[in-house]
Amino acid sequence: MTKAPLLSLRGLGIRFGGLVAVDEVNLDLPHGHITCIIGPNGAGKSTLFNLITGIYKPTSGQVVLNGETITALAPHKIAAKGIARTFQSSRLFEDLSILDNVIIGMHARTKTGVLTALLLPWISRRELEACATEAGDILNRISPELYARRYEPAGILPQADRRRLEIARALASHPKLILLDEPSSGMDDRDTAGLMADIRRVMADTPGLSFLIIEHDMRLVAELPDDVIVIDYGKKIAEGDFAEVRLLPRVQQAYLGQKAVENA
Amino acid sequence: MSAQNPSVPDNLALPAPLVVIAAQVIGAALLWGLLTAESTLVILLLLAVMAAAFAAMQIRPQIEENIVAAFRRSRRLALMVGLVLVLIWPFFLIKNTYGMHLVIVALLYSVLALALNFQLGSANIPNFATGATYGIGAYTSALLAINYGFSLWATLPAAAIVATAFGFLLGIPSMRTKDSYLALVTIAFGIVIHQMLNNLSWTGGPNGLVGIPAPSLFGHSFMSPINVFGYRLPAQANFYYLSVVLLGLAILSAKRLHESRIGLAWNAIRADELAAKSQGINVAWYKILAFAVDAFLAAFAGTVYAFYVSYISPDNFTFLVSVTIMTMVIVGGMDNTFGVIVGAFLLTLLPEKLRIFSDYRLLFVSVVVILFLILRPRGLFPQRQRSYGGH
Repeated sequence: MTKAPLLSLRGLGIRFGGLVAVDEVNLDLPHGHITCIIGPNGAGKSTLFNLITGIYKPTSGQVVLNGETITALAPHKIAAKGIARTFQSSRLFEDLSILDNVIIGMHARTKTGVLTALLLPWISRRELEACATEAGDILNRISPELYARRYEPAGILPQADRRRLEIARALASHPKLILLDEPSSGMDDRDTAGLMADIRRVMADTPGLSFLIIEHDMRLVAELPDDVIVIDYGKKIAEGDFAEVRLLPRVQQAYLGQKAVENA
Repeated sequence: MSAQNPSVPDNLALPAPLVVIAAQVIGAALLWGLLTAESTLVILLLLAVMAAAFAAMQIRPQIEENIVAAFRRSRRLALMVGLVLVLIWPFFLIKNTYGMHLVIVALLYSVLALALNFQLGSANIPNFATGATYGIGAYTSALLAINYGFSLWATLPAAAIVATAFGFLLGIPSMRTKDSYLALVTIAFGIVIHQMLNNLSWTGGPNGLVGIPAPSLFGHSFMSPINVFGYRLPAQANFYYLSVVLLGLAILSAKRLHESRIGLAWNAIRADELAAKSQGINVAWYKILAFAVDAFLAAFAGTVYAFYVSYISPDNFTFLVSVTIMTMVIVGGMDNTFGVIVGAFLLTLLPEKLRIFSDYRLLFVSVVVILFLILRPRGLFPQRQRSYGGH
């Protein structure tokens, strides 16, 4: 039985002047799946993320989430539809507490407006307290150490914990899809192993949740995802199981260059 | 920083109620000293005492933590003592009408600074037009009162609506810019409003509006003194109590918005706009909202000011007024309600009391800002992390 895909990209592309950064990418992501995007630097991977999340407006094609076209909606609307993301260099709310960072992740799910906050403060206070409780639970599941430090400002955390917190913040929105942009960058082997364990645990806890991950760490790419997509010069050049994809000549060519492949 | 919830403090050296009462009484005494002192030497001495207190807190942050913890623990008592002090305050200034006037101005500036704090402090929007929205509120009220016989109580909501509409008007084009460009847009807006007030005939031009009628409440005219317990408080006391109520409203609004998802959204925008968008925060809407809230409160302050002085002119609402309000927020502490009020009082009182420096008012403000940005960039009282009950 084939289920409708969670996310479909149909001929998605963007050109900046004469440069085609992302070129007619077609992609179907299933529910409950981990997909890695690999490709050389400058291939257009992060640009693809920015197209999916509405930060860039595509010049061609469609983004469809659960059958609903979300192409070029404002970023905050796309976030509210259930796509959460992290950034290549982590973007936490540095001066706010670790707990507040996670609570802000729930913004799209909560409702209090300005009049309610001013005139019926107990409602907004109760809402925020409920958020704090849930945020504490999320943090505790990701990392008890982060939970213990939850009132400290996020800006003082080391790299691995920053990633963890970003993932916790992404989870707080109850997303259907989480986009991670190079989550293992700046991590040592032990941290990367921890990251993979975190992602697997989150997948086990949250049925139906999918991850789309841009990654350069080939150990992670070999171990973690169900599928791999290779992008070069803005085009999707291969997809499938990493063990097979890595042997394709056009993939080796993209990574190593034409000559190296011929000489091999 | 301890990993503990800040609302569950470590054991205090002194009992919390004692700390709370002492801190409030000392604060009130310092303020009273500043207001009544005649000689520059005494004022400088009082300032030295305050500076020493801050130096102590800078060196041993635990002192500040303990005081804050005491206030959090005895919240009710703090509120009661504060209310009593505020209520009996005019009795200590019966003979000193100038001191009373300064307090009223400081209270109104506190409201303005809190209004701006929603933008500058919470969301890092450098709005240089608070003086303009303040003026729009004052002029709306004055015009309604003079031409149509509106009472103060009727002009308050009217002025707030008009100023909020202007706030939206300013907010919408401002959304297309940010940082220094946004600051430029708001400066331009402030100058346009000032020029219009100066040049339109129905606003009285440079002469302004004269003869704003005194308000009354339950038959008691604000022009007449208050007689209680055999004491006779000067007529200004009416406006003192009115300004206190207004500041109370501003504090309540600030607290309620800060402790809601709206305050969190503003803080998220301040920290990282792109990340905020990615959390589902409608950045443009929240920025416009900050403009609207700022204008709403500033209009209230403008209305009370217009009725208090009964004469307003464009020069009450210049660019320099906006800069002063901004300085109050920076000095007091971004997004810390108490700090912003302290900043407003200090920057209202000091230039008045240190008359020998009066020719250098702008220089004074600039030096203060530069010193603070270097020595204590987050203000006298920086924002504190939110705490959540029972966790």
